[in-house]
Amino acid sequence: MKIPFKYFEAIEKRTWLLGILTAAFLSLGGLAEITPLFAAANSVKAPEGVKPYSAERLAGFEVYVHNGCYLCHSQMIRHLSFETQRYGAPSVAEESVYDRPMQWGSKRTGPDLARVGGKYSDDWQRQHLIDPRSVVHESNMPKYGWLEDKEVDAKTLQNRMRALRKLGAPYTDEEIENAPAKVEGKTQMDVLIAYLQGLGIDNKAPANETQDKEVNHL
Amino acid sequence: MSNFWSGWVMALVVINYTTILFLFIWASRVDIPVDDDGTTGHTWANGTIREGLNKLPKWWLIMSTLGFIAAFIYLVRYPGFGNFEGVTGWTSTKQLHEQIIDSNAKKQPLIEQVQSQSVLQLTSNKEALKVGLRLFEDNCAACHGYQAQGSQKLGAPNLTDNVWLYGGKVSDVMHTITYGRQGMMPAHSAMLDDSQINSVANYVVSLSGLAHNEGLVDKGKTIFAQRCAMCHSQDATGNPMLGAPNLTDNDWLYGNSITTVKESIANGRHGVMPGWKDRLNENQIKLLAAWVLSHDNTEQAIAAGEK
Ligand code: HEC
Ligand code: HEC
Ligand code: HEC
Repeated sequence: MKIPFKYFEAIEKRTWLLGILTAAFLSLGGLAEITPLFAAANSVKAPEGVKPYSAERLAGFEVYVHNGCYLCHSQMIRHLSFETQRYGAPSVAEESVYDRPMQWGSKRTGPDLARVGGKYSDDWQRQHLIDPRSVVHESNMPKYGWLEDKEVDAKTLQNRMRALRKLGAPYTDEEIENAPAKVEGKTQMDVLIAYLQGLGIDNKAPANETQDKEVNHL
Repeated sequence: MSNFWSGWVMALVVINYTTILFLFIWASRVDIPVDDDGTTGHTWANGTIREGLNKLPKWWLIMSTLGFIAAFIYLVRYPGFGNFEGVTGWTSTKQLHEQIIDSNAKKQPLIEQVQSQSVLQLTSNKEALKVGLRLFEDNCAACHGYQAQGSQKLGAPNLTDNVWLYGGKVSDVMHTITYGRQGMMPAHSAMLDDSQINSVANYVVSLSGLAHNEGLVDKGKTIFAQRCAMCHSQDATGNPMLGAPNLTDNDWLYGNSITTVKESIANGRHGVMPGWKDRLNENQIKLLAAWVLSHDNTEQAIAAGEK
């Protein structure tokens, strides 16, 4: 059966129609993949017992994002045995509900940091941030020693907590009120270390407590 | 996914798949009118470019057909069509567990050795030490150094010598790695003035036979007896219960210069060795202890009845 050309001609000769049909068709994939996830994202709840970031760690989160640590570090352990072998139980969505913006990342120049909390001492973290090569000779991570001279901006921190509350983080008035006292006299280095030391500990999903043993190799 | 979103995805997949398939078949049958010269008669650039009529290349048709088949097989086998789980029941979590079972099955002979042998036996098991080294590099080298030679910046001790802060028995080392240790050397700047600190520091370095001011040693010794002996012991040989180091062996956590020693005394020291029980399992900790102890002959000597 031969199909008459006129149907094709109708589209080919009208660029606007061709444009609309192309766009409509290309959006099908996106509609199927993205829209249900938007709906699902809103139904992800914090794991039981997990609270939003303390004022101090929230300030540290801000330093982390501000300095682009995510450009080299992911916080997303994938379901692959060579990842769990090195980093621990795979990450789940509920562990990062309070991360705005989320820090899953897609690029690893350095290792994943999703469960780095408690792996090293505070002293090590400080020494490593001041001069990474003093503890890991072949590291190409930049030095961040100047964070020790920078204070935490308490005003921005409070505003940030208010904004996060609007987005669903259950901060109380009291916590917001007390935030400046919690970071008083602390440098950006101090709060960044506090942030790092809680990673994978403060936000651990209960499901992962049991999984930990299972993913342990050997 | 709720039923609504599942239906949504299914509808979109069906629309997408069938429309493309339909167009694929349909468009290949369109009867495109041609002029006598075999072109469509469309011209550009004042007639220098004319639109010809070529069939779609065969390789392209074959690739597209394979694409349709692959997409169909994928949707049947794997999750993708709404809530339909796929006939294989594949999930990333299941895959991970299979990988782990696989990987452990490969290591099963070693795992059995680790479980059946004592740490002491493992210190001469080449296979076990290889894995121990890898675990050390992954978890410990950043503080203790790649050759386990220690780091004076962090007060992380050299693990390759026979000097132990907390004792070098298997049980001590296992305890250290499992639960961690926290050295607590209090700051003395509030209790001692600069000249007293100077004296006691000179006394301390004199014990290791390093350069010192002989005139200060007696005074330093008195202060040491009052302030330091309860932790470092009367003869300054240390106390493994507290992790208080031996100060007479010229082996230093933080360095042997008089300035560093004064710093240790004035500001205190808090070397932290993290605990690993939440990160590593018993087998891994055993392998690490064996690797660490393979550098030390004290324990083997005890086992052989020499000490
Ligand atoms: C240019 C890329 C780069 C940037 C930017 C970077 N890092 Fe790193 N980071 C690395 C590399 C490479 C390593 C591994 C070597 C090492 O330990 O230094 C590393 C290691 C680390 C580790 C140790 C992880 C482990 O498990 O051993 C921590 C913690 C860390 N980085 C934190 C940070 C923080 C916080 C920032 C932002 C202030 C940051 N990094 C920025 C590249 C980077
Ligand atoms: C954050 C840095 C850090 C990491 C990581 C670390 N250690 Fe330590 N380790 C120390 C420090 C500091 C001490 C000394 C503790 C003290 O002074 O009380 C120590 C002490 C020890 C001791 C006791 C030594 C003695 O003389 O009694 C052993 C054994 C040891 N570590 C083994 C390990 C092993 C094995 C690992 C890896 C699983 C490891 N360490 C990881 C910092 C670290
Ligand atoms: C409460 C117990 C305690 C007391 C009191 C104490 N020390 Fe210590 N000292 C320690 C411990 C524990 C360490 C190891 C610190 C670490 O692991 O970070 C240490 C470390 C040191 C070091 C560093 C050794 C090295 O290898 O670098 C020196 C020097 C020292 N003490 C001297 C003194 C002197 C002098 C006094 C008395 C003025 C004193 N200490 C009192 C427990 C004590």
